[in-house]
Amino acid sequence: MELLIKNGSVYDPVNGIKGDRTDISIRDGKIVDKVSSSASVIDAGGRVVMAGGVDAHSHIAGAKVNMGRIMRPEDTRLGIKPRTKITRPCTGYTVPNVYAMGYRYAQMGYTTVFEAAQAIMKARHTHEELEEIPIIDKGALTLFGSNWPTMDFVREKNMDKLAAYVAWGLLASRGFGIKCVNPGGGEMWGFGKNVTGLDDVVPNFEVTPREIIVSLMKVNETLKLPHSVHLHCNNLGKPGNYRTTLASMELADQVRARKDRQVLHVTHVTFNCWGGTNWGDFESKADEIANYLNNCDNVTTDMGQLIFGSATTMTADGPVQYANAKLLHAKWANGDVELEDASGVVPIFYAKQVSIHAIMWAMGLELALLTKDPYKVLLTTDHPNGGPFVNYPEVIALLMSNKKRQEEIKTLHALVNDRTKIPGITRELDFNDIAVMTRVGTAKVLGLLDTKGHLGAGSDADLSIYDIIPDQIDPSIEHAKIKSAFSSAAYTIKGGEIVVKDGEITATPAGRTYWVDATVPEEQTEIMMKDIRHKFKNYYSMNLANYAVQDEYVTHPEVIKAGAIPVEVS
Amino acid sequence: MQTVTIKPKSELTISVEAENISPDKFAGKSEKDIQSLEVWLGNHKTTLGDLFTIKVEGIGTAADVKIVMEGNFSRVKRIGEGMTAGLIMIKGDVDMHLGAKMSGGKITVAGNADSWAGREMKGGDIIIEGNAAYYLGSGYRGESCGMRGGKITVLGNTLDFAGEHMCGGEIYVNGNAGILAGISNNGGKIVIGGNTSRPGSEMSKGTIIIKGKVDEMMPVFKLEGTEAVDGVTYNKYTGDVIGNGKGLLYVLV
Repeated sequence: MELLIKNGSVYDPVNGIKGDRTDISIRDGKIVDKVSSSASVIDAGGRVVMAGGVDAHSHIAGAKVNMGRIMRPEDTRLGIKPRTKITRPCTGYTVPNVYAMGYRYAQMGYTTVFEAAQAIMKARHTHEELEEIPIIDKGALTLFGSNWPTMDFVREKNMDKLAAYVAWGLLASRGFGIKCVNPGGGEMWGFGKNVTGLDDVVPNFEVTPREIIVSLMKVNETLKLPHSVHLHCNNLGKPGNYRTTLASMELADQVRARKDRQVLHVTHVTFNCWGGTNWGDFESKADEIANYLNNCDNVTTDMGQLIFGSATTMTADGPVQYANAKLLHAKWANGDVELEDASGVVPIFYAKQVSIHAIMWAMGLELALLTKDPYKVLLTTDHPNGGPFVNYPEVIALLMSNKKRQEEIKTLHALVNDRTKIPGITRELDFNDIAVMTRVGTAKVLGLLDTKGHLGAGSDADLSIYDIIPDQIDPSIEHAKIKSAFSSAAYTIKGGEIVVKDGEITATPAGRTYWVDATVPEEQTEIMMKDIRHKFKNYYSMNLANYAVQDEYVTHPEVIKAGAIPVEVS
Repeated sequence: MQTVTIKPKSELTISVEAENISPDKFAGKSEKDIQSLEVWLGNHKTTLGDLFTIKVEGIGTAADVKIVMEGNFSRVKRIGEGMTAGLIMIKGDVDMHLGAKMSGGKITVAGNADSWAGREMKGGDIIIEGNAAYYLGSGYRGESCGMRGGKITVLGNTLDFAGEHMCGGEIYVNGNAGILAGISNNGGKIVIGGNTSRPGSEMSKGTIIIKGKVDEMMPVFKLEGTEAVDGVTYNKYTGDVIGNGKGLLYVLV
């Protein structure tokens, strides 16, 4: 099976192609140097060609996503689309059904998406949903930040045990990396409390969030995991939290990366770059975060851009969701995952005339525009917390057009002018920057740059063609065209197969599920398992034998090997 | 003036999704055009003309359209959904979701209406001469806002959850209402001529007046004394106190 994409304006930053007319050759699902004359040909006609989109932070599957569906039947009524000959029915806007997740990402030209949080105990549910999401490759980050074993081993300062626990937890959850949400706070929420900073001591465990984050970063590097620690900072959702965020970023200096990537990824910064001391003097400090990023090279972030309209906030940060529900008088779902964190779900409507929402809208954009290097700020909406992922094209258009931003600012609460820097920022990103924020950068942050995010030979044949001819358009003025082109790819090609043509789904192959198999010395695992067996005997409601996700739940696995001991290559 | 007369061709035992029966959809259309409008009969797509005999006299805009429906429509759902103007006169019973999301015009029903009549309506008038079933003028599952404007009048009785999540508009029920009338009221006005039980819990705003007997009061209201409304003296309550609500509940002394 061979395919030749001719005559495209290719944006492939890794290989130094910035809009040049380049042909892309595909054979057996991979990009190759050239194909035979019998290859099928797609004439891109000068249109934009990029690698398939990669999303490093989205909530697409698992217990809390489904809790959102259950508590928001009204959301199901939006986006209803009957089945066709090749697609299953779609429902929902902020919490779409599993099929819509795959189709809608593919229609935007995305081919790889990572679920940002799964508790080990709930991982089977996550994988049952991932299995049903069509087309895209996916994976899930596993929560470790408030797990009892994590905190025990951190207190004991026993990094061997912690490494063994992380490796075993990734195996048990078929997870891809370490997610750390409001470390320590998830446990304290079980007692109706929260941590308020990096140095609060978690009762019963006598550890601080600072110790948890640093220990997990160390272990992450010991295990040489492809991705870094993925951190949802403490104090998220509270005015003044940018200080906690900066202090957390500084922790990265204590650990050296053992792979070519960051040591810490700080996620959805829109929700934790807040200045002020209360809702009255609430202001953006995204510029401070951007300034820090401009002077460091071991931390990356993503936007978590706010989108006006309906959203569903869902996070493993249980206490922040209780506060949200009280503040908004909204319906609230709370999840407790025994020894492993908590969660909460609250619907929200972001309104242009609410000052706090208008200021938050500016934060994600400020971060992306004030940070010089696009590799350090990935494009996300923290779907569906900031807004549904189908709005990525809106974000792209905002980043590429100051005119669009200025038009939007006129419709917002006036405080956006005083409490943010956005009105004065004139920078406009180009297609190359967008390719970094949505493809290369994401793949690099995840540690998947070998096969994802670029169009060099050997890479997966995932790519998208958009109905834009770069030298015939001024994105600054024709931002509506940019948005519509990125909403509905002319072609999406996944593993060499055409899955979208002119914005319509044409094929629905099953995507693969990435997980990381990290090895540690066996005796290390055995020592650690004594503690785990003790926990199951005394505290868990389930049996250890029923805990781990079986291979039957991951039918298209893509296993990445990592570990503290060298892997034998035969 | 455009008058459209609709009669069922035979007795319907399977439910029909007839959101296309609306002055807005009929305005300016010929008999043939209206007959070819799509409806779902169970899981099967068909046309209005297949199920109903349709006669059209004259032509006009939505505001000029008068739809006269004769016969039993007790399996026909979503009549007048989203209508903005005009008149629908139904000389029989109707199924669920009558006038859902309508923003203008008027619907009269000589018989009974099933559940969700006037669901999430924004304006206009619905008059039901018989009884209405559950969730009159409510929000559909999960919605935080039910009826937002307009007026619903029921001459008979209604069942449970009348006006759930109402955010505006008025509901008048001449007869009795089931339990929890006006639950989660966010700003609408509900008048019950007869009896009900446990009205108005989770109210944040709005007014509920009960002219008959209240079998049981929810213990979430604060008695503020008595007050006369239109010459009748009521016990006046405010609540729901749990949610710091500012709703007003009047119950006949």
